[in-house]
Amino acid sequence: MFQRHNSVFGLVVIVALAATIGCNSKRDSSGESGGSTMAKAKRIILLTNGDDPFWDAMRVGMEQAAEDFDLSSSNLRVVMDKNDASASGQVEKLRQYLGQTDVAAVGISVIDPNNAAMAAAMRDLQKQGVVVVTIDSDVNRARFKDTRFAYLGTENIFGGRQMGLAAKKLRPEGGKYATFYGIEGVANVIERNAGFAEGAGDTFVKAGGFADNMKLEVAQDNVRNALQNHGDLDTLVGIWAYDAHAIVTVVDEKAIRDQVKVIVFDAAPKAIAHLKQGKIDAMIVQNPYEMGYKGTRLMKALIENDTLVIRELYPDYVTATKTFSTPDGDVHHTNIRVVVPTGSPLSQQDFDEGVTFYRADEFDTWLKERGLTGS
Amino acid sequence: MELVKKYVTEIVLILGIVVVFGTTAMFNDAYTERFFDNVTSLILRPASILGIFALGAAVVIIAGGIDLSSGSMIALSASIVCITTLVFCKLLQPDADDPTASVPIWVVGAAIAVTLFVALLIGSLHAWLITVVQLPPFVATLASLVGLRSLAIVMNKAVSKQLGAEAVIVNIQDSNYLLTSAPWWLPLAIFLTLAMLLWVILNFTVMGRHIYAMGGNEAAAKLSGIRTDRLKWFAYCFAALTASIAGILLASSGLSADPQSQGTGGELFAIAAAVIGGCSLSGGVGRVSGVVLGALFLRVVIDAVAKLITSGNSANYEGMIVGLLVVLAVAMNEVTSSTVGWRKQFFPGALGMVALLTIGLIVGAILAFSLTLSEQATNSWRIGLVAGIITSVVLALIKVLAYQLGKTKPAIQVKP
Repeated sequence: MFQRHNSVFGLVVIVALAATIGCNSKRDSSGESGGSTMAKAKRIILLTNGDDPFWDAMRVGMEQAAEDFDLSSSNLRVVMDKNDASASGQVEKLRQYLGQTDVAAVGISVIDPNNAAMAAAMRDLQKQGVVVVTIDSDVNRARFKDTRFAYLGTENIFGGRQMGLAAKKLRPEGGKYATFYGIEGVANVIERNAGFAEGAGDTFVKAGGFADNMKLEVAQDNVRNALQNHGDLDTLVGIWAYDAHAIVTVVDEKAIRDQVKVIVFDAAPKAIAHLKQGKIDAMIVQNPYEMGYKGTRLMKALIENDTLVIRELYPDYVTATKTFSTPDGDVHHTNIRVVVPTGSPLSQQDFDEGVTFYRADEFDTWLKERGLTGS
Repeated sequence: MELVKKYVTEIVLILGIVVVFGTTAMFNDAYTERFFDNVTSLILRPASILGIFALGAAVVIIAGGIDLSSGSMIALSASIVCITTLVFCKLLQPDADDPTASVPIWVVGAAIAVTLFVALLIGSLHAWLITVVQLPPFVATLASLVGLRSLAIVMNKAVSKQLGAEAVIVNIQDSNYLLTSAPWWLPLAIFLTLAMLLWVILNFTVMGRHIYAMGGNEAAAKLSGIRTDRLKWFAYCFAALTASIAGILLASSGLSADPQSQGTGGELFAIAAAVIGGCSLSGGVGRVSGVVLGALFLRVVIDAVAKLITSGNSANYEGMIVGLLVVLAVAMNEVTSSTVGWRKQFFPGALGMVALLTIGLIVGAILAFSLTLSEQATNSWRIGLVAGIITSVVLALIKVLAYQLGKTKPAIQVKP
């Protein structure tokens, strides 16, 4: 008899723990911030592809939009759900949303644009009346355009091209480069690599692309191996946010700053510090704050069928037919910035039209104005 | 009463499933409003896939061994079934933009056959490493844990490069591939069939009895004339095959093979399900019914956490909960299998006092961290502190109770 009581006791402990959290969760979701008598608030979820400081800036943008557009009075709240950097993880999370009753909209940064199971889950969510948009990284548009309303985010090929243009200006005679990133096969990796090759031109030869599976220690080893195996390597390209720190660490360690150019994507806090010290030559920066802000605004507008806002973001949207009048009308590109250290030979003229150019101190001011430490 | 005593683990697990499900339903209406979708897609389907390879882990544990390779075996199998499909489709339609858009049924059959055959080879390799090379099972399967995933990554890159575009992730575009996305009952049917098969083998065949005998005392089993090498071969091949089946099902569910992430940590979940289901890591003990319910219970708890934590990533909590469940299950086994039962001293002396305080600290910290992260309570640290103190006090009471029971009753009653 005692034996049974003992095991039941164990279960009760677990359920009590879960219930305590659940109990509080219920209290909160019934609108602590929006009014005490409100019904259960529905969620606007932003599903990331992995975990990185990049998403912190997007979260700030989402929260600012939630405040500016008064989501609580519409009985909505924003939530960021961080994926484990795998396609199967995203599919499982989408299926979990399908089983929930409080999901109003999902903005997803698609990790694998060609995954048919993910596309099926996104379609199922739409059938269930949930708004689905892609943010930061889109599906394969040729195959799965119907799985979401629209895309909002960086044009990664364009961003990669700016990295290539920076390399071309810094090394007009050409050179040999290696790219470093988290996961092989991810859309933004493919696109930024392709963009770099296009921008840099034929005078640059690629030594290789190195994936680290989002392990920081492997990221550094990749840089060491690349330098070891390719003695003539002179341009190091960080495709994902944390690669900047990995590259700079190894360059410092080997004391070869005068021999290599370092060009990176995204402004992680450590990367910004390195840029200020002149250890990075150019930083191509997306605007996750803008993505979070506009993404939240878009999803709220779609939930409430606010066509004015939808058309403001997507001018080619046809209200009557709920379609787009042009093939690319369902794409809204957010701003791309180029940040360079003080005294850099790079200038606005070296980059494509539409790029915003900052010196390090100017970018620092921009961040401080928004209470951000990275972007 | 004897029956209740014999099946106490199963009864507790059924009660646990009902309690967790019921509690979750009280706080989240998903279970009541979308009962069928939740039960089929989010509980039975994943529980069946987990259960399939947990059955394999359980056989190895009952046989006195351990298999750490199931997560990597899942990744390798998912990759083999997808890459084989891709190769066949490319051979059939060399000029097609998307050769896997429609996969012929014979290709599916061939890909599954190749995958299961490779699993059989890996299982046999484990058996050879353990019985002939005489590596400890932990080391032999640890090598596979780190090696097979790596092999899958390299294989995908090499084969896809040969076919035109180097890639680690292999996608299949046919949405009907392996009866995919659709039927939730397919993994369940496979799981129940395998469970029945294993139940018959373990309970009604000589080999089954020999497996229990070997797990309980290998030296004695050998001296009794049991050919333990063959039994080990069966156990490790069964484990590899079940992990392989789970890998095929995961590939079909996700329509892709991603060896970088698929099945990560699967071996620990399989062992956890087996242990929660009543298998003893010292071997010779365990029942199929317990493993089936252990897998189901684990999944119900994980899904409950996903339902209750709606302000962030519920997966962050899985590790803590599975860890807690495993410790409780092993403690329960210790109590139920020990002759001293409830009178067992879990917190003797100074070490017991330290453990008691540490557990209180961990419980309080988990609660405080969880509440802080989910932004649900302003006084999360105070709640954590109170919960920690209560836990330590309850455990101290258990310590006193066990001490008193130990003093008043003899540990073993010897009948004249």
